[in-house]
Amino acid sequence: MSLFAEVWEAVKAVGAGLGAVNKRISEPAVTEFYPYKKPEIPPVSVQFLALIQNEDGTDRCVACLQCERVCPSQVITIERKRNPEGKGFVLERFDLDFANCMHCANCVEACPVSAIVTVGAFEHAVYDINLLKADKAMLDHIGHEARVWYSPKFGVELRTPEGKIQKAPPEMQPGGLAELLKAEGGEAS
Amino acid sequence: MRGPTTVEPVPGRTDELIINMGPQHPATHGVLKVVIGVEGERITRAVPHIGFLHRNHEKIEEARTYPQIITYTDRMDYVSGLQNELPFILAVEDLLGVEVPQRAKLIRTIFFELFRIASHLVWLGTGMLDLGAITPFLYTFRDREMILEITEKTAGARMLPNYFTFGGVRRDVHPDFFKDVAHFLDFFETRLPDYYALVLDSPVFQARAVGVGVLSRERAIARGASGPVLRASGVAYDVRKAEPYDAYPDLEFQVPTRTEGDVFARFWVRFKEMEESVKIIRQALEKVPKTGPYKGKVPPRVKPKPGARYRAVEISRGHLGTYVVSDGSERPLRVKHRSPSFANLQLIPDLFVGARFADAIAILSSLDPVFGEVDR
Ligand code: SF4
Ligand code: SF4
Repeated sequence: MSLFAEVWEAVKAVGAGLGAVNKRISEPAVTEFYPYKKPEIPPVSVQFLALIQNEDGTDRCVACLQCERVCPSQVITIERKRNPEGKGFVLERFDLDFANCMHCANCVEACPVSAIVTVGAFEHAVYDINLLKADKAMLDHIGHEARVWYSPKFGVELRTPEGKIQKAPPEMQPGGLAELLKAEGGEAS
Repeated sequence: MRGPTTVEPVPGRTDELIINMGPQHPATHGVLKVVIGVEGERITRAVPHIGFLHRNHEKIEEARTYPQIITYTDRMDYVSGLQNELPFILAVEDLLGVEVPQRAKLIRTIFFELFRIASHLVWLGTGMLDLGAITPFLYTFRDREMILEITEKTAGARMLPNYFTFGGVRRDVHPDFFKDVAHFLDFFETRLPDYYALVLDSPVFQARAVGVGVLSRERAIARGASGPVLRASGVAYDVRKAEPYDAYPDLEFQVPTRTEGDVFARFWVRFKEMEESVKIIRQALEKVPKTGPYKGKVPPRVKPKPGARYRAVEISRGHLGTYVVSDGSERPLRVKHRSPSFANLQLIPDLFVGARFADAIAILSSLDPVFGEVDR
């Protein structure tokens, strides 16, 4: 190929590339303006973990130590004592070091009473790494702030503005498709 | 201590220059260091140095219980995170004798192929970035973002979801999942022609890629290459065909192969693989029941019977195998990962020597190593 033909080929190629780019210029922007407009994180997404308390303010957690046992990074530390009134145990200490957490949600999978859950909150970044060492008060606080959360046992749950805890509608549940299809079929018939 | 592999200047020789490429070089895809001797523009010697990202996976995994290990396997090839979980899970499933429901197999396959597309998109974007083209990077990452969003909605994380588990998957899919995946496939098929126009069909790219870094069939086999690197050298080896796992026996697809073995062939194979992935996912979407079981019966304490098992899968970069030795306790006696990028990286001296220095970057991006998996 002569030099001229080569140059012509290259110019044509650049033209084709510009054509491909041109097609996309009029597309809507996909950039997220993050600090001003926060993305919605699905509740199954493992970001912050939280401890959920019942509506009456008691702990859901029964201090069974399952989450401590399954954690691969061994970042959960629980101390418990016998419940003075009645059976079982109560928590004395529940520490979770988010700095070393792998966000695997094994603890959430293991919890038998859906006390430790994943919430959609994702803004972890702090200037001091020690601030990521969460104690029970902090985990409870994240749980109180949460409007929606997920655990395998109860699925996605919502906190209504009145402070009631409800199961989320099937459109938000993993595996909610079964219920939705059934409802559809019901309407059709 | 200096190993015998270090490139030393030859005393009295002044025409050879010794250059350290990496570990902070932006085109080394992470932390690869290559010591290169150049004579003018020709590379005379090349010695790769690896291990900057070593995290001791295999030893850590000996000290963890089986369900905990799945979390670690994700972190090998972090670009195609979900795919890495599968060989370990298949091996333990075999040892446990667990039945996996067909629906779970299909869901796994859909995710597996989605991550292949996502990984190839990252490769295409960063590979073209290395060659000096910035626009494909912006486009591919935008498309990949859609896959990551689908993954996050169902699996719970974008890159390292820890979603597959013994006997199936961890939780049922999000109600929008099948719709989202179908929408992504439609969208992606309109995008692929653009990538062809910008990259593969462009004579500017071809001038940089055709005939560069030629890898012969014999050399590829001798060095244990796998994945697109091997298939671009004319060997139609694909674990999905050779030892089918999950739902692959029921799905029809081609194994794109080329015989040239140059950079262009490796790019071509990956392009065609993305097309095949789209076809595979479409078939799987047709087959998968909308509702049903997503996990088989697994004992609450995972304690496989004593024995050993090797299972392999075809991840985006090639043959990833995991060897699990069980002594009947909760923790494995030994876990060994055979990772494709590590073997592919051995080709560096073969391919670099004799090439021009600027072509070294093109060759490296056509090998597509990921260092989380090379160093483990
Ligand atoms: S998410 Fe994983 S690493 Fe983090 S606390 Fe739970 S079990 Fe431990
Ligand atoms: S598994 Fe659940 S109930 Fe048990 S200690 Fe952990 S948070 Fe509490």
